[in-house]
Amino acid sequence: MSDAYVPHEFQYSSADHQAGTAVAGMWLFLATEVLFFGGLFLCWIYARTQNLAGFDAAASETELWIGTLNTGILLTSSLVYSTGIAFARVGDNRRLVQCCLGAIILGLAFLALKFGLEWSDDFEKHLWPVGPDFKFTGPIAGGARLFYVFYFIGTGLHGVHMVVGVFLVAMIAWRARRGEFSPAYATPVEVVGMYWSFVDVVWIILYPLIYLIGRS
Amino acid sequence: MPPRLPRLLIAWVILLVLLGIEFGASFLPLAPWPRVLILLPALAMAAIVGVVFMEVGRGPVVARGFAVAGLFWLLVLLGLGSMDPLTRTDYHTTVAHPE
Repeated sequence: MSDAYVPHEFQYSSADHQAGTAVAGMWLFLATEVLFFGGLFLCWIYARTQNLAGFDAAASETELWIGTLNTGILLTSSLVYSTGIAFARVGDNRRLVQCCLGAIILGLAFLALKFGLEWSDDFEKHLWPVGPDFKFTGPIAGGARLFYVFYFIGTGLHGVHMVVGVFLVAMIAWRARRGEFSPAYATPVEVVGMYWSFVDVVWIILYPLIYLIGRS
Repeated sequence: MPPRLPRLLIAWVILLVLLGIEFGASFLPLAPWPRVLILLPALAMAAIVGVVFMEVGRGPVVARGFAVAGLFWLLVLLGLGSMDPLTRTDYHTTVAHPE
């Protein structure tokens, strides 16, 4: 933090205090998100343990190339946005805007691949787990249905978080364009970056659970 | 050029290498349960993103406390929740169907 005076809200003793509270608040929120997705991961453990054959047979139907490409896209988007944070800390709002736009484009590419391409392929292949048209039949059908319940809920919830993240990054880009950030004040940029990278972390765990472990 | 950029780039390269490792490992002819080990590179990737991109070490002590608490309660959730499915013994029974 530079020595320049930075205004802060009345309830904080200093701008540093305000910034630290914002960062701590985001970590507290992310801790609740960890437990939110933790329940989903526990469902994966429980359902795969009890229905191994059907669960793994269903996982083999997922589109591995889309999942892998999407993982690379999200890792790169985290790099791009974190680069934007680094530029914000040296007061380069123009570069910050460029990094935000890059992160938004990568986020939209992820969403297009996931929901525009992969989900529509899944529906065409009759992998929606509800109804009589489900692809799998026989003794493994129950486990396969459970896998695709996990798949659609997990990727759907992650997608909702991605959409929220894209809006937050767009808001940061808009504020940066107005020159609101400086070396002394970049807290909103940092806090949104924590959220954006957390959504990345969730996908890093979902990727092997969905695409890799059951593919034998 | 911000001084943090080389560190970010190195982390990104390591993340892509780890992604390649877990992608390659998925083609190994492993039994269903050892395949869970494919999660190890993913856990390392999550840790790198947390430390380098999310800067968990930055900010006040209470922020790190919240981060550690989140992980702790996640371990409690997964640990206690997994006890039943991982230790249960299923005995097959014959179900009598009414005529």
